[in-house]
Amino acid sequence: MNGQFTCVVCPTGCVVNAEWNETELLSTDHAQCKLSWDYVRGEIFDPRRTVTTTVRVDDGDLPLVSVKSDPPVPKRTVFEVMQHLSHVVVKAPVNIGDIVVTNVLDTGSNIVATKRIQRKV
Amino acid sequence: MRTEEVEEVDVAVIGGGPAGMSAAVAAQKAGAARVVIIERGERLGGILNQCIHDGFGTKSMGKALTGPEYAQIYIDLARETGVSCYLNTMVLNLTPERELTVCSTGGVRRIRAKSVILCMGCRERTRGAIGIPGYRPAGVFTAGVVQYYMNIRNLAVGRRVVVLGSGDVGLIMARRLTLEGAQVPCVAEILPYPSGLVRNVVQCLEDFGIPLYLSTTVVEIHGRDRVTGVTLAKIGPRGGIVPGSKRLVKCDTLMLSVGLIAENELAKKAGVALSPITGGPIVDDHFQTSIPGIFSAGNALQVHDLVDYVSLEAEKAGLSATEYAHTGKLPEANIRVSPGQGIRYVVPQYISGTEAVDFSMRVVVPDLDRYVVFRSGGQTVRRMKQNVLAPSSMVRFRVRGERFQNIGRELTVELQA
Repeated sequence: MNGQFTCVVCPTGCVVNAEWNETELLSTDHAQCKLSWDYVRGEIFDPRRTVTTTVRVDDGDLPLVSVKSDPPVPKRTVFEVMQHLSHVVVKAPVNIGDIVVTNVLDTGSNIVATKRIQRKV
Repeated sequence: MRTEEVEEVDVAVIGGGPAGMSAAVAAQKAGAARVVIIERGERLGGILNQCIHDGFGTKSMGKALTGPEYAQIYIDLARETGVSCYLNTMVLNLTPERELTVCSTGGVRRIRAKSVILCMGCRERTRGAIGIPGYRPAGVFTAGVVQYYMNIRNLAVGRRVVVLGSGDVGLIMARRLTLEGAQVPCVAEILPYPSGLVRNVVQCLEDFGIPLYLSTTVVEIHGRDRVTGVTLAKIGPRGGIVPGSKRLVKCDTLMLSVGLIAENELAKKAGVALSPITGGPIVDDHFQTSIPGIFSAGNALQVHDLVDYVSLEAEKAGLSATEYAHTGKLPEANIRVSPGQGIRYVVPQYISGTEAVDFSMRVVVPDLDRYVVFRSGGQTVRRMKQNVLAPSSMVRFRVRGERFQNIGRELTVELQA
């Protein structure tokens, strides 16, 4: 099989032509660096995305804390993860790196805070 | 009557976003005696605080951070190095002698700085700037405002949102709105190519099946109290509406991502010469403006697509500002750098020719497999192959100091086959 991908690893955005079979990526061309190989292989066999969103905070100096999935979750689960997080509320203070949800929806990924939120004064 | 006290500092940085923080940290590390950041908002970090998506730092740190994480690195550095921060404080005036009038809840006071670094960033173009006819209903927002409401304030702006303009913030917010359950029927872009980075078109639109209509714009906004829809039309090669191409798209919100304007009211007050193309100050390779001791970096200088380069540029400005504060002078920059064939602008506009220079530039139209050539008269100073060129992607090149030996007073940057 073959197809075309736009690598999104870095802002260059190389357009990569790829060839693959049932189990492995066979070849790619036109990329300026090696990073596109893993990206294209992921897109073909196991596409994943980092979900970045917000969850509500109680008693915070701001009403929301930004979070991300770490590591990235399977692409097909992105909307389910969003749905799940809409019910989550954390309590201030929150620090960068705090785990907000462990193993979200059994994906093996944690939801981790990406912003520092202090308690409301 | 009480004598008015003037605070004396080595380096005053106006704006506490990514450029201001990086410039201040660099100045403090370089040994400036007193460095202050003056920030009108209530916290440091600027626009990064609302940019909760990831992809920051891929070039400079080798990993993809979210905006708040990237900001926190510099907030911590500012604290550790001992940079002073005046939050909730607005600079009202700047003189060519580098005296600042600042205002906060404590009142109005003056600061005299040996060096000033302008890091005010940019603001968004609004509906007024692009002149769309129609009533003035609620429901027309710029993308950055939508981002602030959603990511900081937990407010929804609408249920069905048409996006006009394909700037990076617009693309990112099209995805964000979709993730939060709003419908985004389309993104319209007046140009025949996207204004944002390719990676954002792919991961924000294609991933979610949001169509991008090129050479298309909004010609009318409908609704009296609230937006009820917009009329889209195709734009022909000469800029007119293609007959028969008008169609109505129902929506309750129109989100604009139609460009950014460097914020330089203070630079104008001080009499700093501005470039009509970038909207930012004309600078030399030390990021010094036309007024000695006043420097500029970040989006106030030129609108960037990557924060990594904002930080690098501001770091250099911070070092230069410190050198000026200590010695009162910097090498003269007498070599003029001009954009030639295919190049819209190049920064810096003047160089001294004594040391390496990191040039930033943008091309006029998308192109493939071209050489970016630095030329002085008939002499080629530097030549670099570029596989993919787009106006949305800033091109950056370092040229070593030796290359400027024996060149004239004029350096031109152009695209060649």
